[in-house]
Formats: sequence, structure tokens, C-alpha cells
Amino acid sequence: MNLVRYKSIEFDKKILFHVIIILIMFAMSLFAFTTLEHEGHWLTGMNNQVVWGVPHVFAIFLIVAASGILNIASISSVFGISAYKPLSRLSALLAIGLLVGGLMILVMDLGRPDRLIVAMTTFNFKSIFAWNIFLYIGFIFVVVIYLWMMFEGRYNKHVSKVGMFAYAWRIILTTGTGSIFGFLVAKEAYDSALLAPLFIAMSLLFGTAIFIKTLYFLRIYFDVKTGEIIFKRLRKLLLYFILAVFYFTVLFHLTNLYATTHHDYEFFLLFSGEIYTYLFWIGQILLGTFLPLFLITSNKINSTWHSLLLASLLVIIGGFIQLYVIIISGQAFPLDMFPGYIESSTFSDGIVAEYTPSIYEFMLGLGGIAIASLIFILGILSLEFIPDSLEDEYLQN
Amino acid sequence: MYKKLVIKTLLTFLLVSFSGASITHENIPHNIDTSLADKCVEPTEIMRAQHHIFINQQGHDTVVKGIRTTKYSLKNCINCHIKPLADGSYPNIKSKEHFCSGCHIEAAAQVECFDCHASKPFKKIVIKK
Amino acid sequence: MKKYEIKLDRRNFLKSSTLLGISSVAPGVFFQELAHARDLDKPASSKIRWGMLIDTNQCTEDCDACVTACDEEHGIEDFGRPSTDTQWIRKLNLTDEFSGKSYNLPMMCQHCENPPCVDVCPTGASFIRADGIVLVNPHTCIGCRYCMMACPYKARSFVHENLENQVPHSPRGKGCVESCNLCVHKIDNGENNTACAEACQKDGHQAILFGNLNDPESEISKQLHKYGGKEIRSDLDLNTAVRYRGI
Repeated sequence: MNLVRYKSIEFDKKILFHVIIILIMFAMSLFAFTTLEHEGHWLTGMNNQVVWGVPHVFAIFLIVAASGILNIASISSVFGISAYKPLSRLSALLAIGLLVGGLMILVMDLGRPDRLIVAMTTFNFKSIFAWNIFLYIGFIFVVVIYLWMMFEGRYNKHVSKVGMFAYAWRIILTTGTGSIFGFLVAKEAYDSALLAPLFIAMSLLFGTAIFIKTLYFLRIYFDVKTGEIIFKRLRKLLLYFILAVFYFTVLFHLTNLYATTHHDYEFFLLFSGEIYTYLFWIGQILLGTFLPLFLITSNKINSTWHSLLLASLLVIIGGFIQLYVIIISGQAFPLDMFPGYIESSTFSDGIVAEYTPSIYEFMLGLGGIAIASLIFILGILSLEFIPDSLEDEYLQN
Repeated sequence: MYKKLVIKTLLTFLLVSFSGASITHENIPHNIDTSLADKCVEPTEIMRAQHHIFINQQGHDTVVKGIRTTKYSLKNCINCHIKPLADGSYPNIKSKEHFCSGCHIEAAAQVECFDCHASKPFKKIVIKK
Repeated sequence: MKKYEIKLDRRNFLKSSTLLGISSVAPGVFFQELAHARDLDKPASSKIRWGMLIDTNQCTEDCDACVTACDEEHGIEDFGRPSTDTQWIRKLNLTDEFSGKSYNLPMMCQHCENPPCVDVCPTGASFIRADGIVLVNPHTCIGCRYCMMACPYKARSFVHENLENQVPHSPRGKGCVESCNLCVHKIDNGENNTACAEACQKDGHQAILFGNLNDPESEISKQLHKYGGKEIRSDLDLNTAVRYRGI
């Protein structure tokens, strides 16, 4: 059993290249932000029917993944599986980055971002959104303390306590994020407490997938040697979480199918919803669930990092599509204000609302990813986050 | 060496950002008719220093409680202070000829009132449909 | 005095109106007073709850007087982009799937007693005024649009454009959410009617009746007592102040 050492990295051309790409992405988001600020939101695809669009898909994806990616650290400090211990620092750093990125998108999409100070000082405590502001900011503090305990040798003994606290915090955080939709009684597609556990499962899955993707590139760029143990563990983790998300997705739709009032929405999503139906079956189920499951479990191709990377990328794409389906289709589907009547008006009553995302929305989303990446790169440049080696003899199984 | 550079940059930044503080209400030219100065709801000195406090408070009371007294209402300010130009039109909020913008542009202090509020006295408009 | 302040909801409505019916002779003076204009420096009173009764039998398909009147009163302009243009009030056409009969009615903010928009608003910008009017405080609205997600009536619009030429009594601006405010400026000035109700009456229809739901002597209370008034999405138990009859 050898002791794991950590290293920081030197600034070089490879990093410079990445930083330039990140800055270009960030500049694009700033451009989109100032344009929308100046001209108004009519430039986006969002409208009075579909009020939350692609920026929110990006933001919620990043926030949810932030909570899930910290799971890697939790496994070591809460569940005591020390094979994950060398990865804890990276996991916490990524969690902070993703959360800040996600929050930034949400702020940049506000109608009045100049009033951010109002959002930070006036709270309506009946609103789950207001609670989430506390949960998100608190999360960053908790993770920073967590990191401090990990880095400072004298405080290492507190890691498990702080880790436990962070673990509880992020479960509540993801519950809160899921409840943003779960508490919307008026909308047929939401209004289900099942959205909270579904979001928790999604957070674990997306977080793990992003972590695997990151580790893959760390292996290549910074020569982090990996052994069988960590590979097999991560693969198994991804497998379990894909199954968990699949389970809650099936459960969610079965519950809806059981209640006659929800049949219209289910029929819309599963059969008649055109783009949403395609995205659900092809994007979420085929690309995001079955294909990665096949890649992970098939005996012939499952033993390489490449197939694991591919599975993770598919999970990330599938997860993005899954959030798109949940967030957009739920708004596009018409409200049933008068059951038993066919409604029509000048305000999209009784018909599926139109939504075509505009380039500005994607630019805002990329800005969040840019910030997350920038925080990660600054982190690994300045402190010792990256384990020297993850070979089997360095890991306690 | 880097540390010194960072400190210098920060100090310069602070200096530049606070230099606006040297512009006070006294040294900005007011495009105000001085003969009417004491006709305002409070003495000029108080209005210069505290008009935003009165207006904000009134805004809160009107929206939240439904109190519609006119003394400190923005509508009252506009009706009295915004006079038509030579050609009969009212000055645009973006130009220095507008009573509020005259100072606010000079002091580089953003007014957000007129994002929503009418910046000129009410004249019935015909809605183009 | 306490017993006159019973709020209108489905459970108490019948009970209270009988009760008040018996004892309405003596307190008549008191309610007369309420109907008068409130002083400008007095806040809105919780003794009043403003509401509307909409008679769908009187509402016709080809008339949009209420919509036009609302647009004019509040200076709502059309940018030719229907999906992002503001609509505080809209005409809704309903066809009964079973019988094929068709109905028309105006739909706007229903001014719930327990409004979901107020529950979800993170900053408390969505609020319910003492006299039951649900409003957005544009000074604290950050434009997150969560209230629009929560509203069961799609009553709210987000201002997607830069606005100019706002009318002084109805400030509106880009980046905030807004909805029907029951012509709160007219109420505060003692006119006690809304632009849509006036326009409807002027056009010869009597489809919109505005009044104080807490006053058993008011026309709206009498008509509600006589004809009843249906709450849209009554399953959500929001106790709306806008009620419909004939549907």
C-alpha cells in the first residue's frame, strides 16, 4: 500500500489553448447577455408560454451535476470506501465549478439581472426558489470547507464529519431543485413529488459521467496512471446510476399513466408530441440509457477507458435531452383549464405552445460551462488536486 | 513582483471607480428655473440630497399599500419639472435636456425609474393595433 | 363587526349570505361608507375584497371591447410578435366536447385568495394587496418568471421588449412580469370599476360585473347569491375573486 501524492500542474501551451477556448465561450455568453439586457428577451425562443428555455436546461443540468459529482468524495468520506479517496479533491473542485457555472446562467437569464441584490436580500420563504438560493450558496461554502479539511493535514480527521454534512446538504439541494418543478400544482407534467428522487438519481448519474470524462482527459494530459480497481468501480457506479434514473423515469410515467387526468400529457410525450416524443425515445431512452448500458455491460467492449468515456458522453447528451424534455415539454403542453371543453384563443390556449431555441440561449449556456471549466483549470493550476497515480497498489479496495 | 503589480492594479481601479464621488450636486449645472426653486414640495437643498428617498418610499407605499398621495409621487415630479421644448415636444429621457437626466448623466448615476415610468406628462396616446 | 368580515369561499358563502341577509338592515350604513372612495393617504383596506362576476351568456364571440379597453388603459402595445406580446386579458372560446355548445369568456388574472404565483415568487414581488388584488411589485421583480410557471390560468406576461410611451398611471417595463391589476389606479382613485367592465357595459353587453365581494349589499354579491359563480380550476382550491356564470 503506497501513499497517494497529489500534484498541481504547470501552465503550458495545452492549458493556454483550453483557456483561450474557454474565454471565447465566455465572451459569447457575455455578448448574449448584454444583447438580451439591451434588447429584451424577444430575441430568444422563450415566450409567454414557454418561459424557461435552453438556458435553464443548461443551468439545471450543471447545478444537478454539481451536487452529483460531489458524490465521488462522499463515497470515500461518508461510506468509507477509500478507493475513492484520491479523487475527493477533484470531485469537490468540480462541484464548485459546476454550481457556479449553473448559477451564472440563471442570473444572466433574469429579466432584471441588475436587481440581483434584491434576490439576495429580500426573501419569500414560502418559495422553494428562495430556499434554493440559500442551498446553492451554502453548498459552495460547505464544499470549500470540505476542501480545506482535505488539504490541511491537521484537519484531515474532520473530513468525514464535514463530508457527512456536505452529503446531507447536497441531497437537500437536489431535492430543492427537483421541487422547483415538483411543486408546480397547476402544470400537468409536473406536480409530482417523484421529481425530487428523479432529480437526485439524475444528479448522481450526470455527476459521475462528467467525473469520468474529466478523469479520462487527466489521464491523457497529465499522465495520471490508473489501475483496474478505479476503472471497474467507476464503471459499476455509472451502471447503477443509469439504472436508477431509468427506474425513476419508468415509475414517473407509470404513475401518470395510472391517473386518467394525466393520460393526455403521457400520450403527448410518448406518442404525439413530435419533437418531444423523438427526443424522449431517441435522445433520452436510446442514446442516454440503452446505448451506454450496452457499452458498459457488453463483454467484448467493456474493458477499455474509451468505451467508458463514450458511455459517459452519451449519458451527458442523454441527460441534457432528458432535462430538455422535462422542462420544455411540460410548458409547451397546454393547460387544461376547462376539462371537457376545447379551448382556443390568441394566447396559445388549447394548443401545444411553440418553442424554437435561439442562438443566444445556447451562448448563455456555454458561458456557464466556460465558467465551470475555468474554475477547474484555475484550481488544478494553483493547488494540488490531481493524484499522482491511481494504480491499484495506491488504492485501498 | 506579481503581488506588487496586483496591488497597484487594484488601487488604480479603486481610485478610478471612486473618482465619481468628487461630482456633487453642487457642481453640476442644473437646468432648473431658479425662480420656481422654492415651489417644490421640499426646499431645494433637501430635494437635491434626498429626492430618491422620497420617491422610493412613495413608490413602495403606492404599490404595496395603495396610498396615492401626490406630494412625493413621481407623476407629480414629472408633471411639474418636465416642460415642453421650443418645438412643443417633451425632452427625451436620454437627452440632457430632460430634468432628471441633466444631472444624472453628468454624475453618471443611472436612473432606473424610467425603464417603466413615463418620463413626460401624460398625453393620451392612440394605440396602434 | 367581526361577522361582516367573513371571507367569501365555497364553504362559507351560503352560510354567511343567509346570516347577513337577516341582519343586513342595520349595518347598511356601514357598507355604504365602504363603497365610497377611500382617502388618498389611506392604505387599501382588508375589509374589502374586489372581484368580478363574468356572465358568459352575455359575452359574444366577435366582441373584444374588454381587450381593447385594457390595452388602451394600460398602454399595452403590440409588437407584431404574438408569442411574446403582452396580454393581460384575452378572449377564450370554449366548445363543449360532449354537446358541441360553444361559450365565450374573457380570461385574466383570477386574483386568487391563495395565489400560486405569490407562493413561488423568490423575492416576494408577487403579492396580494389588503383588498385582495394580486399584484407584481415591479420594484422588486427580478424577472425569473417562476410565477408564470406556477399560474394555473396563464394570466401573466413577461415584458420581452423595450417599452416607450408608458402611461403614467400604469408603469410597465422590460424584464418584469406583469398581469391584470384590476385597474388598481382606478380603484385607488375611487372610480371602483375596471376598464374592461366599463367597455363591456358601454358596448351593450353586461358580461363583466365588478364589485366588492365582502359587501353583501353590492350588486356583485347579490348576483352571486342569486346565480352562483363558478371558480375556474376549483380543484386547486385557490378561491378566486373572478367568478363565471353560465358555464
